[in-house]
This record gives sequence, structure tokens and C-alpha cells, in this order.
Amino acid sequence: MNLAHDPWIWIGALLTLAIFSFLYRDNPFYKTAEHIFVGVSNGYAVTFYWHNILVPVLFNPLFRGRLILIIPLIIGALYFTRFIPKVSWLVRIPIGITIGYYTGVSIPAGIEASIIKQVQGTILSPANFRAWHAGSWGILWSVILFIGVLCVVSYFYFSREHKGVLKVTSRIGIVFIMIGFGAAFGYTVMGRISLLIGRLQYLFGNWLGVIK
Amino acid sequence: MKFIERLTAIDRRIIYLLLALVTILPMLFPIAQKVRVMSPVEKCFNALDTIRADKALIIDFDYTPQDMPELEPMGLAMLRHAFTRRIKVLVLCLYVQPLGLAQAALDQIVPEFNNRAQSNADSIIYGRDYVFLGWQPPPLIPILGMGESITNVFKRDYYGNQTDTLFLMKTIKNYGNVELLISLSAGSIPLSWVAYAQNRFGVKIATGCTSVSAGDFYPYLQSGQFSGLIVGMKGAAEYEELLARKLNFQTRRKAGESLSSITFAHLTIMLFIIIGNIGFFMKRRKK
Repeated sequence: MNLAHDPWIWIGALLTLAIFSFLYRDNPFYKTAEHIFVGVSNGYAVTFYWHNILVPVLFNPLFRGRLILIIPLIIGALYFTRFIPKVSWLVRIPIGITIGYYTGVSIPAGIEASIIKQVQGTILSPANFRAWHAGSWGILWSVILFIGVLCVVSYFYFSREHKGVLKVTSRIGIVFIMIGFGAAFGYTVMGRISLLIGRLQYLFGNWLGVIK
Repeated sequence: MKFIERLTAIDRRIIYLLLALVTILPMLFPIAQKVRVMSPVEKCFNALDTIRADKALIIDFDYTPQDMPELEPMGLAMLRHAFTRRIKVLVLCLYVQPLGLAQAALDQIVPEFNNRAQSNADSIIYGRDYVFLGWQPPPLIPILGMGESITNVFKRDYYGNQTDTLFLMKTIKNYGNVELLISLSAGSIPLSWVAYAQNRFGVKIATGCTSVSAGDFYPYLQSGQFSGLIVGMKGAAEYEELLARKLNFQTRRKAGESLSSITFAHLTIMLFIIIGNIGFFMKRRKK
């Protein structure tokens, strides 16, 4: 065993143990660590935004004479009208500008990247068969993908009662959806275990020094 | 029947304890485990490996402390790979929190190379071989702006140098000089790179993501929008394996060391799922 001499590693290790103690039951150690985390995170973010955005990008140039920056300053400040009931409606202005900008930028790009390209990837074409890098199996995988997409989409078609052909396709669609959920659950388990491993490596490696 | 009923009513704290044990023991008593490299990781490795000398690689470090166990080993392995191949590297972040982590990754990898270097040409030198551009909000601005000019978006690097004075930035102007962009992120940032940088400027994008987001990203690999995909700690272990196998890179494999723990933890969880289901069906039959 080779205990760490760095006090920051000790602080990190003790806070980790305090958070893990919640697995037994809620307790003051857990609550303390949770409050420290929330406070430090917010403090870090606020000071970082102040020193790296507001001061160099807005206040410094403004005080040097770039008066045009008064416009974004006023628009940004309107967010705080939320706290004054009589003029709280003014908050709609910055919200409207933000939503308008991001909607305008993201809709065409989103349609191209997430709809058109994805539909192209589903079409039964030789290029898509090759994309699987699975030889002649690529044809089978492409056909399964094609059937899966159509059946899942049919499951979400609610304008007609699921009878006849629609009943069959929507049932097949559910099977594909369940497989998707299963895979997502499996990946989630792997992700959470990886996080646990990361913390244990810190405790047993960086802190206690029993693993390299 | 009583035994099964007892099994289905195990205190969750006992399950946590068992899970901790099966995760800790393989760390203390390592078991060698063969790493099978999957095609998405190999594609990412090859995409990076074949970057031409006049082009650059951008690595977007966008993971936070809670994602480090999965994404940090990928970042380290990619930096090792790029510096071994003498590929020009630009490092950037789209959010504030990852800045320190990107800095830590560079601080770890650059000395690894420089301690072995025998001449200036062998060394990894800031401004010549790599640049840490830092962070510029909001994320959409640098993603779109770098298509026109990288130095216009990042006027100063992370250390406060003017970027247009750096040697590397005299040849790397915009996406036209970038062959591959790898986004290491726990969120949907890789999809933003696809939607804005790839659609508009044709940049090749690969991603290293957490296991939780893998399901969302696989369709983009199949459609060819991602040039490679590395998923979670297992994907990082595969990348480390490729580094060792193809470039004979012998170093600590942080992700590879964890595979036994992941395997045993998964087997334990599967066991409990089976026990839970058997108990559920037996109880239902009894009713």
C-alpha cells in the first residue's frame, strides 16, 4: 500500500466515499458532499463565464468604445426582467431571438443530417450492402434494417386502427423496438459499471496505491 | 419456493456489495483478457492512421469528469496515435468544463514523447506539432466559423497566444486543411459536427462516445456519416489494442485493464436479472 500524500487526492477520495455512502442510506456525509458539489460547480461556472466571456468579449470592448455592444448587453439583461412581475413579459424578446436563431440554423441542417442521409442509408443499394463490411451478409443486414425501419414507422402510425397488415407490421415493429431498448439497457449497464470502475481505480490507485 | 421468494427479495445493499466485490477483485488480481477489435473502432483507427502529412486532425475534447473513465482513455490513445504518426493536431473544446481535462491529457502525453526524443525533430513542440485552441462559446459558432477561418474563431489559443502567429496555423486555415475531426463527447455534440461541419463543409467526422449514447450514434455509422465509432471503455480498450498491435506502442492500458471488471460485473447483473425473472414467473404461477 502506498497512500497518496497529495491533500487534493484525499479530499477527492473522501468525497467519493461520502457519495457512495448513499447506497447504504441517506446520511449527513452524503448531503454534505452533494451540497459541496452543487456549490463548487456553480461557482466554477459563474466565475469562468465572467472572466472568459463577459469581461473579455463584452465589457472590455464596450468600455473601450465599441458602443454597438450595448445592444446585446440590453437584450441579455432583459432575461432578468423575469424577476419584476410588471415587465416580466420583456423576457420574451431574448427568448424569441434565441429560439428564432437556433431554429433557423438547425432545421435545414437537421433535416439533411438526420432525415435525408438516414433515409439514403436505409435504401437497398449495393453501396449500402458494402457499408456493412460483411461480404454477402451485408445484403441480409440491409434487408433486415429496411424491414425494421418500415415496421417501426408503421407502429407509430395512429391514424388507422392496427388491423390486418398494419397489425402484423406494427407487431414486428414492437419486436425491433424491444431489441433496441434491450441494446440501450445493456449499453447503459456497461456505462454505469465503467463509471464505477473509474472511481474504484481512483480510490485503489491514486489514493490507496494498491493498484498501479 | 421459499428459497426463490427470498432470492427475489434480496436487499439492494447486498446486490451493491456483491457488485462492488466482483468489480474490485479483478482489479486487485488482474486476469488477462483477449481484446477483440470490432470494425467501428478499426475504421476510426484507420481514418486517423491515413491522415496525409499536409492535413490536420482536430480532436474535440468534450467530456466532463463524470465521463472520464470512458472517454479519457480514448483521448489519450488518439493523442499517442497522432503524435506517433507525426500528424498535426488541433485540440479544442466546445464547453467550459472539459478545458482542464484536455489540458491534463496533453500534459500527460506530450512529455511521454519528449522524454524519449533525441532531437528537436523528434520532439512534440507546441505551435509546430499541435495547438490547443481552447474554448469559444456557443458551440454552434466555432463549428460553423471554422469552415471559413479557424484563427478568426479562435483568435487566441488556450494559453493566450495569438493563433495566427503560430507556425502550425499558417498552413491549417479552415476545414479544407483538416482531414478528420474526432469528437469525444458524452452528449449529442458529435451529431452537431455532422449536421453543420460535415453537411456544409464535407469534413470527415468520427466519434468516441459513452456507452449510453451508443444506440443513438450507430445509425450514423451505418449511413457513412461517421468514419468510425468508439463506444465506452470497451471501445477504448480496442483502440489501445490496435495501438499496441499495429504501432507496437507499449504503455499502460487504462481501459484494457478494466475489461475483467466489466465482464464480471455484467455476469453478476445478468445472474440477478435471471433470478428476478424466475422468481417473478414462479410467483405468478403460484397465484
